[in-house]
Amino acid sequence: MSDAAHAHDDHGHHAHPAGIMRWLTTTNHKDIGSLYLWFSLIMLFTAGSMALLIRSELFEPGMQLMHPDFFNQLTTMHGLIMIFGVIMPAFTGFANWQVPLMIGAPDMAFPRMNNWSFWLLPVAGIMLLGSFWLPGGAVAGGWTMYPPLFIQGGVSYDLTILAVHIMGLSSIMGSINIITTILNMRAPGLTLMKMPMFVWTWLITAYLLIATMPVLAGAVTMLLTDRNFGTHFFNAAGGGDPVMFQHIFWFFGHPEVYILILPAFGIISQIIPTFARKPLFGYASMVYATASIAILSFTVWAHHMFAVGMPVAAQLFFMFSTMLIAVPTGVKVFNWVATMWKGSLTFETPMLFAIAFVCLFTIGGFSGLVLAMAPVDIQLQDTYYVVAHFHYVLVSGALFSIFAGIYFWLPKWTGHMYNETLGKVHFWLSVIGMNIVFFPMHFLGLAGMPRRIPDYALQFTEFNQIATVGAFIFGFSQLVFLYVVLKAIKGGAKASDRVWEGAEGLEWTLPSPAPYHTFETAPVVK
Amino acid sequence: MPHPVSSIHDMEQVDTEDCGGDASGAFVFQSRPNHSLTHGQQRFVFWSLAAVCLATSSGFALLGYWLILPFAGLEIGLLAWALEALRSREGDYETLTIEGDVVRVEWHAGTRGGRREMNRRWARVVCDCRTPGRNCRLSLSSHGRETEIGQYLSDEARLRLAAALRRKLQA
Repeated sequence: MSDAAHAHDDHGHHAHPAGIMRWLTTTNHKDIGSLYLWFSLIMLFTAGSMALLIRSELFEPGMQLMHPDFFNQLTTMHGLIMIFGVIMPAFTGFANWQVPLMIGAPDMAFPRMNNWSFWLLPVAGIMLLGSFWLPGGAVAGGWTMYPPLFIQGGVSYDLTILAVHIMGLSSIMGSINIITTILNMRAPGLTLMKMPMFVWTWLITAYLLIATMPVLAGAVTMLLTDRNFGTHFFNAAGGGDPVMFQHIFWFFGHPEVYILILPAFGIISQIIPTFARKPLFGYASMVYATASIAILSFTVWAHHMFAVGMPVAAQLFFMFSTMLIAVPTGVKVFNWVATMWKGSLTFETPMLFAIAFVCLFTIGGFSGLVLAMAPVDIQLQDTYYVVAHFHYVLVSGALFSIFAGIYFWLPKWTGHMYNETLGKVHFWLSVIGMNIVFFPMHFLGLAGMPRRIPDYALQFTEFNQIATVGAFIFGFSQLVFLYVVLKAIKGGAKASDRVWEGAEGLEWTLPSPAPYHTFETAPVVK
Repeated sequence: MPHPVSSIHDMEQVDTEDCGGDASGAFVFQSRPNHSLTHGQQRFVFWSLAAVCLATSSGFALLGYWLILPFAGLEIGLLAWALEALRSREGDYETLTIEGDVVRVEWHAGTRGGRREMNRRWARVVCDCRTPGRNCRLSLSSHGRETEIGQYLSDEARLRLAAALRRKLQA
């Protein structure tokens, strides 16, 4: 309440600028969600183009298209951008759009901080991409930034460290916003155990982010001081320990893997019950499984570094703790299958992607179990088997869940139904293309082909050629996705409020498209 | 951002003499933002995160990798600020009282607060919903000054409050 003759506190509701200023200054969670998603899409095409260049070079043995150092730059930047510029921003975009709608909140708890969280990202993205034009080119030591390579590189390495800091700051602000929004702005009656699974998974993801980001920030800062200020944290020449960087990095890095997949679990847990027309099987066990995965993720980091050498007891501990994660993950897969069991299933595009997620993510999970075994991992370390494993987790896992989520909520966001036929074309091209790219990599890895090399022995040619053909099918099929999204934004059949027959939740009580301001008064959840 | 409690019950009270009046027969309308996080839960959230961050960063500091610690401290500081900002909004409220010839408006938002009294015969309800895409703005006007009310309400609830106030002021 305010006195117009004195202060006039309108909470920013009464005016929102148009044009570019709307997007620069917006504090609206829907605008910011859209910004995150568009940024992510642009980065997907950028890093995806890098992947196609990589696959083009690998079409034949020998050096065809590029200098080996540029190949290394592409692999490094592909990894960094896909993780920090595509998957994480996309999930944050979903959180911005959906969390307030799902919990009956009018916006995020700190809308201005939300604006800052987003606008830091393009700055970091420009720094990363701009480093290609610096002397020496972009970073080429792998996305994990291991010393000594990362200590020895040119100026782009400093710029990358700064970019990682900025992205980390963005993530921390975003996470604090999400935690405070979920915990403090739930509608009356919406207890924690009534929250949609997507909200739960994001709450836990935000906890993970806050717990691990200082570790990443500290690690890259120590790299920076080693590079520029004469310290020797990781510089063996000065008595430092480069292996310790790997420990510190993966202490952040493995929870980061779950940061990349837990929101995917949440999206899939929203979609499957909708198209099975049944409530999610074992809701409580899903919540506890998510929390268990998050807690266990702090105890498994050294499975990434069995090959660097460690005591047998440590190998056993990290091997068994890694295998233990299969238990809560298995609970989730079982619950998704049980939700579909005897459901009244229909197979719209979001459901197709969700089913593909369950099947293909499980393959990625199983290959993860294979790699969890220390003696096997030592054989497969840094081979294409590892590449196949994490792409099954991150492409058919994280990326497919993003596609599923966009098809699922796009009618609510735009007010228009997308073209179902084209959506299915996109699905089938993606799922076939993805398997053609990454399945042969298992065989390449088992046969001993190392990762991160621009040239290879002749016996690996056929599988590499198959993978490259698949990469182009998968890559170009994403243009269909772009067309479907743009078409739905521009027009199409009017979406109803509930959109999907089996949809449950507060967001489906709103009109389609969701109005600019929603839930200014919290609904009461029974 | 303030997050209002459901105004539906409040509005039902406004529409009904019996429910809207207190023991003395005065008309009282109160609204406040919704906060689903209690003090105890806030403390739990803070310390659960702070403990994990400080424990891991202290562990690395003991091994000599102390540069993680300042980042953990900064992050915990930011979290503390965020939770404190939420706490500072817990006491926000708006109260509108019509008692005899006096219309009294009291509010508290963050660190700001105020109170204004108007003569019932001079008070006018001003409801501006003219600009498309904007929220309705509801205020009480008297002697050339407008005091905005109903900030924690939806547009629909503001319109209903406006109608109820007009009836009350004309009665």
